[in-house]
Amino acid sequence: MIFLEEERDKYTKYEKARIIGARALQIAMGAPVLIETEEIDPIEMAIEEFEKGVIPITAKREK
Amino acid sequence: MYITIRAVEVVRAPPERLGDDLQVVVKEMLREKLEGRMDKKIGMFIAIQDIVDIKEGRIMIGDAGVYYETVFDTLVFRPKMQEIVEGNVVEIVEFGAFVEIGSLDGLLHISQITDEYISYDEKGAKLVTKDTGRTLGEGDKLRARIVAISLNERDPGDSKIGLTMRQPGLGKLEWIEEEREKEREREKEKKKE
Repeated sequence: MIFLEEERDKYTKYEKARIIGARALQIAMGAPVLIETEEIDPIEMAIEEFEKGVIPITAKREK
Repeated sequence: MYITIRAVEVVRAPPERLGDDLQVVVKEMLREKLEGRMDKKIGMFIAIQDIVDIKEGRIMIGDAGVYYETVFDTLVFRPKMQEIVEGNVVEIVEFGAFVEIGSLDGLLHISQITDEYISYDEKGAKLVTKDTGRTLGEGDKLRARIVAISLNERDPGDSKIGLTMRQPGLGKLEWIEEEREKEREREKEKKKE
């Protein structure tokens, strides 16, 4: 896959979906939430965490 | 014998423990997964000692747990052919004696106890030799050699270890002492001559 140089470190929409999905499942199953939030829906929580950049998950790309 | 080995295993950290110290969680999970388990090549896992290295975690689709490849030191019990072991008799049965040799029991068959004819005394739960009247009962300490190993991975308790005492230097510890005493006396007499 070819990336623009300034977008090299950005996640694709697929990676974003995978990360938020994985994180939401963790939260739903009892993992501690890393932000202060009003949300009660794990998916919304995961999205908020993703936007703040605090999710300890990265995507590995095939070279 | 008991040995410490370095092993590698992938272990799952459950989502509800993600906030805790990874070292602690991984160690706990390894304990749960391995302690008491039997592997034909490695032996029986007795205790997880130190976590040496935890690699980067991996997340599987549809599973909230995180999988860590872990390098760790573990204490294992690995019976070896021809190994000399010492143990206590835990049970006497018609066909021989069960001897505790570490975390597993070995079977000392009635035919492998002494060169003499030996009989089973049902009332006393003892094995008695015909000529010298030596007895072998529960709780006796003895030294034996491992001559057969058949480990069962599915049911570690069902593993079978065969022992023998029909070799010089082996036997109930008292018998060995007696033999030594005799040997000393023989040598004394020789010197006198």
